[in-house]
Amino acid sequence: MAETLDLILERTLDAPVDLVWKAYTDPQHLKQWFAPKPYEVSECELDLKPGGIFRIRMVGPDGFDTGHGNAGCVLEVVEGKKLAWTSALGPSYRPAEMGEGCESFPMTAIVTFEDAGNGKTAYKAVALHKDARDRATHEQMGFQDGWGTTANQLEELAKALSVNA
Amino acid sequence: MLNDSPLDRTFQALADPVRRGMLSRLGRGPASVSELAKPFSISLPAVLQHLQALESSGLVRSEKKGRVRTVRLEPSALGAAESWIAERRAEWEAQLDRFEDYLSKLKNGENEWPRL
Repeated sequence: MAETLDLILERTLDAPVDLVWKAYTDPQHLKQWFAPKPYEVSECELDLKPGGIFRIRMVGPDGFDTGHGNAGCVLEVVEGKKLAWTSALGPSYRPAEMGEGCESFPMTAIVTFEDAGNGKTAYKAVALHKDARDRATHEQMGFQDGWGTTANQLEELAKALSVNA
Repeated sequence: MLNDSPLDRTFQALADPVRRGMLSRLGRGPASVSELAKPFSISLPAVLQHLQALESSGLVRSEKKGRVRTVRLEPSALGAAESWIAERRAEWEAQLDRFEDYLSKLKNGENEWPRL
């Protein structure tokens, strides 16, 4: 089951690996591309060491604002080669409070970079998600903001539904 | 966000406490319309309206035998793992597109390296 909820993305990027690494991992650069327009990243912390913080605040012209944003945890850093982080943990590996909407389900991302020759870089990202119940919770929260219902109620519902799945 | 997609209808159907109550009940097994209506102090037409919303969202289906309409869950509506994962993929792909654009700007010197 779990593997059907995982994502693998591979792409060859037309830039040398040191540039790619810098643009991907430096908060000042990350801010420039991370958010889908018209949203933008107003704050970003990324501490490149195991247990380091990874936090994004996103804002939009329509008043959208993730607020401080739940801080994720960096799991593994191999300079110029690999970055892994998760939203299931906070900085220093403390189990994370799950937030609302997009932050109500945990995810682990493993991104690797490799010199592909000719100034190009082979990029690979693996995103791991937990299970179908989280997914259902996520869908319901994400699509129905402002219900005024608690995540628990929704989770209960999702459980009831997945029993029958 | 999708407009009026099946997923949208699903979540619209879920956005009501009576309908969520009905779904919770159905999570324990099929039920007749009158069983479903019992916990709620609302009129039969209102109950039928809620059921219609649930049915058109695909969350439940019902069939009538004699005078009894039996309602059951249709789990596939929430089993849309593929669509969910497809959306996540689209987000990642779009982000990677932006990253590529940004890289090419950096390479061509269109963007100065932000001061660090």
